[in-house]
Amino acid sequence: MPGPLPRTKSNDWWNRRWAYRLVLLRELSAFAVAGYLVLLLLLVASVREGESAFAEHLDVLKNPLLWIVHAVLLGLAQFHTSTWFRLVPKAMPLKLGGWRVPGELLIAGVNGAWLAVSVVVLVIFLVVA
Amino acid sequence: MTSEATATRTVTLEVFRYHPDTDSEPSYQSYEVPYREEWVVLDALNWLKDEVDGTLSYRWSCRMGVCGSCGMMVNGYPRLTCNAFLREFMPGPIRVEPLRGFPVERDMVTVLDDFMEKLTDVKPWIIREEEQPIEEGEYRQSPSQLADFKQFSMCINCMLCYAACPVYEHEDEFIGPAALALAQRYNLDSRDEGNAQRQELIWSDEGIWDCTFIGECSTVCPKHVDPAAAIQQAKVEATNNFFISLLPFTPPGMGR
Repeated sequence: MPGPLPRTKSNDWWNRRWAYRLVLLRELSAFAVAGYLVLLLLLVASVREGESAFAEHLDVLKNPLLWIVHAVLLGLAQFHTSTWFRLVPKAMPLKLGGWRVPGELLIAGVNGAWLAVSVVVLVIFLVVA
Repeated sequence: MTSEATATRTVTLEVFRYHPDTDSEPSYQSYEVPYREEWVVLDALNWLKDEVDGTLSYRWSCRMGVCGSCGMMVNGYPRLTCNAFLREFMPGPIRVEPLRGFPVERDMVTVLDDFMEKLTDVKPWIIREEEQPIEEGEYRQSPSQLADFKQFSMCINCMLCYAACPVYEHEDEFIGPAALALAQRYNLDSRDEGNAQRQELIWSDEGIWDCTFIGECSTVCPKHVDPAAAIQQAKVEATNNFFISLLPFTPPGMGR
């Protein structure tokens, strides 16, 4: 007598639905963030090596292929960030006094803070440049 | 459309079949079922059992989304079949299978022993360090304190969240969404003092840390319990607790 059918595990779970595919993309896009960090560290390393190495590195960065790589990494990093921002109300609901801050307002808050920091960084960059 | 026209229309149901005494493999059997605008998948299954094949096995009870017995995979998605209208899946066919991630006893009847054990392990009841004498009356709670956990208390143990969770499918030890949400429900209850007793299990790898926040448990939940939120909130609490434990002093109001 065979008895109950054992539970099954399938490795194609991520391809069953769009929701799963997007979650996998969210997880994999972390590699884009790590990838950009490597590019940034290479830039910092060239600064440490001296002025000529830095100038050489800047020349390399002008390569159109690296422009494309940067654009793709930026897009994926933004996707990664925004997916996590959308989950903020679930992980960290906020209660101020007796008032439960609506989830949409929390999401708007973190996105607003993100925008503000980006503007500050841009202003510093423009002033220094 | 007239009622006569709807009565003659049919839809194909592809039903998962497995009999533990005679089958070594499951199979699918197709049935033509009358289509009615107001019928849910459970109505179609009941019609099949009454009119065509009395051996068909599945669980159901209330027919109104309260008992949580009739959860099945409908076209690959975990649904309460009393809440899944045939009209959503027209023109068909509609594939009906047992909930994913569980052993199958027979047809759509799953074995829920694993969940039952894990549910008991998280101690989903109010724990008091010392019971208050009856003459002191009930444990009182404000509407705001109730609101802190009410959402997580709406669980009907229908198991749809387990069927939607790839982590539960792959990790035998994972406690799973509903049991963790219920643990959080009691941890957040102002009358409960059992947080410390639940911690070891809840804050372990098999507890909240196995969860990768896929979030489908919350999407499929017919009662909007949002187990994913419960688990992430417990993760934040566990992390805070870890860092506070590193401090040489206990900040006021943070003692456990």
